[in-house]
Amino acid sequence: MLEAGIGDHYWMSLTQPGPGASTLVAAFESARSELEAEALRGAGGRAALERYSDRIDAMLRQLFVEVGSPDVHVAVLALGGYGRRHLCLQSDIDLLILFGGHIGPTEERFLRAFLNPLWDLGVVVGHQVRELDDFTRLETDNPEFLLALLDARPVAGTRHLFDRFGTLFHTAPTHGYILKSLLRLIDQRHSAFNGTLYQLEPDVKEAPGALRDLMATRTIAMLTDPLLLRRGPADPARVDQAEDFLLRVRSTLHLDAGRNQNVLSHDMQERTADLLGYPGAEPRQRVERLMSDYFRHARVVSRSLAWARKTAPLPVGPNLGLSRDGVRFLDPIQAARNPASWIAAFQAAIDGGADIAEETLSCVQQHVDRYRADDFFPDAADREALVALLKPREGLYARLTEMHDCGLLGRLFPEFQAISWRVVRDFYHKYTVDEHTLLTIRNLERIAHTDEPYRLRFRNILASVSEPELLVLALLLHDVGKWRDDDHALESVRMAKDVVDRLQLVGDARETVLFLIEHHLRMSLAAFRRDTEDPEIVKEFAAFIGTEERLKMLCLMTLVDVEAVSPETLTPWKEELLWRLYVDTYNHLTQRYGDELIERNQAGLDGLLKQRPDDLSAVEITRFLEGFPQRYLQLFAPEAIYRHVRLARNIHPDEVHLSLERNESVWTLAVATLDKPFLFSNICGVLSSFGMDIIRGHALTNPNGLVLDVFQFTDNERFLELNPDAHDQVLHVLEDVVSGRADVTDLLRGREQGVLQSRIALRLTPVVRADNEASGRYTILDIVATNALGLLHRISRVISRHGCDVDLVLIATEGEKAIDVFHITKGGSKLTEAEQQALTSDLLRTLEGL
Amino acid sequence: MKMIKCIIRPNKVDEVKDALAKLNIAGMTVTEVRGHGKQKGHTAIYRGKEYNVSLLPKMEVEVVVADNMAEDVVKAVVQAARTGEIGDGRVFVLPVLESYRIRTGEKES
Repeated sequence: MLEAGIGDHYWMSLTQPGPGASTLVAAFESARSELEAEALRGAGGRAALERYSDRIDAMLRQLFVEVGSPDVHVAVLALGGYGRRHLCLQSDIDLLILFGGHIGPTEERFLRAFLNPLWDLGVVVGHQVRELDDFTRLETDNPEFLLALLDARPVAGTRHLFDRFGTLFHTAPTHGYILKSLLRLIDQRHSAFNGTLYQLEPDVKEAPGALRDLMATRTIAMLTDPLLLRRGPADPARVDQAEDFLLRVRSTLHLDAGRNQNVLSHDMQERTADLLGYPGAEPRQRVERLMSDYFRHARVVSRSLAWARKTAPLPVGPNLGLSRDGVRFLDPIQAARNPASWIAAFQAAIDGGADIAEETLSCVQQHVDRYRADDFFPDAADREALVALLKPREGLYARLTEMHDCGLLGRLFPEFQAISWRVVRDFYHKYTVDEHTLLTIRNLERIAHTDEPYRLRFRNILASVSEPELLVLALLLHDVGKWRDDDHALESVRMAKDVVDRLQLVGDARETVLFLIEHHLRMSLAAFRRDTEDPEIVKEFAAFIGTEERLKMLCLMTLVDVEAVSPETLTPWKEELLWRLYVDTYNHLTQRYGDELIERNQAGLDGLLKQRPDDLSAVEITRFLEGFPQRYLQLFAPEAIYRHVRLARNIHPDEVHLSLERNESVWTLAVATLDKPFLFSNICGVLSSFGMDIIRGHALTNPNGLVLDVFQFTDNERFLELNPDAHDQVLHVLEDVVSGRADVTDLLRGREQGVLQSRIALRLTPVVRADNEASGRYTILDIVATNALGLLHRISRVISRHGCDVDLVLIATEGEKAIDVFHITKGGSKLTEAEQQALTSDLLRTLEGL
Repeated sequence: MKMIKCIIRPNKVDEVKDALAKLNIAGMTVTEVRGHGKQKGHTAIYRGKEYNVSLLPKMEVEVVVADNMAEDVVKAVVQAARTGEIGDGRVFVLPVLESYRIRTGEKES
């Protein structure tokens, strides 16, 4: 059912019977006659046009009622000049017929029934028809239409459809696009008039200083800063007078020409001067007075537009504009009431490489004490925005410093406030604790952009960290415990727990932040105070750190923390020590973990057994874990481990047990099966055949032949999301391929060709290196190559063709780069020199041929 | 007078300082240095690529002592800085011809 008339005098109830189709002509003629009479008196200005627009509104509403409603909600909106209620005698009536759902036959019937009578009246209707959903994306091919939509005004139909249209249409990106288009259109239009308003026969609609410029001025203000014109070179009342004058002139032109004619030609100047009642004995005198008025008004309009173009802030977010002095709130009163929007201002400044305007900082400073931490991030989107703000990049330190100076940082994180201007006297630190903390973030920001050759290695580490904003959060909080004089790392982590609770960080993200804070001194201790050439020290450090991701973060944290102590503290010598410990630990984590297997009395096993769910016995878990590398316990949370134990239950040859889960855009597939040749290659191939892009993964084998492969991948073609039976399909294909009933190469063929043709991305020179020294049991294959669909399948197929067993695999991707570490054996032993040579040459050929 | 110049592992500085303190030697110069001895560093592998790390980070500790102290100082340093592995470092003993205190210009014997 259609609704109408909700608290708005332009709306009328559809249940109210209209006066009948026959009166439509009469209503239209009467409205026109009234406006013609006004124009004849020289009074066809704003008030007359508004009255005329209202009468057309009434006529359309009458028609709407008579036509009857279609199946879906519909609204009729007035656009452009009609939307502004400035409909002139000969102007097109611009309408948007907006449907709430799909346009079917009844909607088409409605359109014909609604529009045909208007055409019969001789009205030129400029109509656009859209479904509401069309406004979920921006139409970029018709900027004039977008401009007309800015003036959209509901005339008839469903009110809430108009409101929903408004929500979809009035977004910062759309406004930004319209503004850019408008400025381009103004330039084009002005160039058609040689850029001057002093035309002897001016077009009162299109010429510089005429009606379009006036509307453009108001539109720029509306899109950027509604209060802009109050500060302009001309009093808004003078702009209104100019508008009224131009409309009165236009009305006389329409009246006399009987068509949409807007050029004030020499002939028309006399006639218009007469109609507008200019005094003077001679026509020449009357014309001179008219034109003198015209130029006076056009100059007001022209100057206002030039000023607006120069001064208007660029829209960079809701209630945010970017001016020459930086990002600022367009409406400070509204901003003061909405503290959750303040983070967006700082984010916009970082995005735009701009400052925050002084007046905005003052506004924040003035109101910040009214709010508590939670007020700044009331919902999940706000919390995510705050964490996202912390991504290390240019401008972050400067913005955080501004946030600190105006009191916002201390309100967001009262824990940080505790170290504001805090002085800790020691031999090393040269700055207050808060500034030291912010400098660590500045140092990280600099690493992200450094071109200094000896720093590139750290820049590469930072580029490979998947959530660097967590590192910045850890840096922000690492020394908050220094408000007390005792062991600050423990106090910092205690305080940081409150912060991660408020931000509702969970799982790995939460644990990582707390780990980094608690152990922020651990790597400098190991690098600078221990003998890092001792493999035992490296082994111990690797066991402590657990994963490469944490190692990368702690390494960077150590680097920037030491550097922020004083300008002299971090020397190239210390950087070298830190780098060496990083490399040795990284190698230990990725290449040696196969030698350290889980044993019955393994540390950490107790907790896992105690918290086990009822359906799992301690024996079952222990048997499952035995023979897997100890690293397995560090890689997976207990819940995931329990799932893996269940997957491995009652498994028979050729059976594949799998579990598939989704976490936002990343899917995790766990596969349990029994080992056989080409297994890893086949599983990777199946995933690729479904178009999945493998981004991370672990392949593990235990001595009983149980294989557990866990892949994280993105489903760029949304196969799993869009197909309800996708899970079963993947399972069936996996089973068929693993048992040999289907050949994965056939499945992949078409897809690989498509990929080869479409992929011309930047290519890395592939690196393949075999090493027999790193591990006691395995030959380690390090492979770095450009990531591509099916890459893992092809690599592992070559390895299997050489008769090698793939025992353990680590898969990582960093942007376009794939970093894979394979632990392989041949006949249970490491590969000989000759076997290594043959394999690496073959692999390089394969990778170079991609 | 003798100058004892010790190239040691970075993590051995504190132990060497303590050993020297036991011999009542308070003044010393400690410098971060990089270099290599017989072992000529080694090649580190990171993600399949080789990185040359031939110049290893070491610490240099310098002390100037009376001739009759030199032997004891060398012994103390060697004992404190030794791990028994390659890369423990070197101790050099050099003659010092003259020494002046800058503040007073006074020549020291």
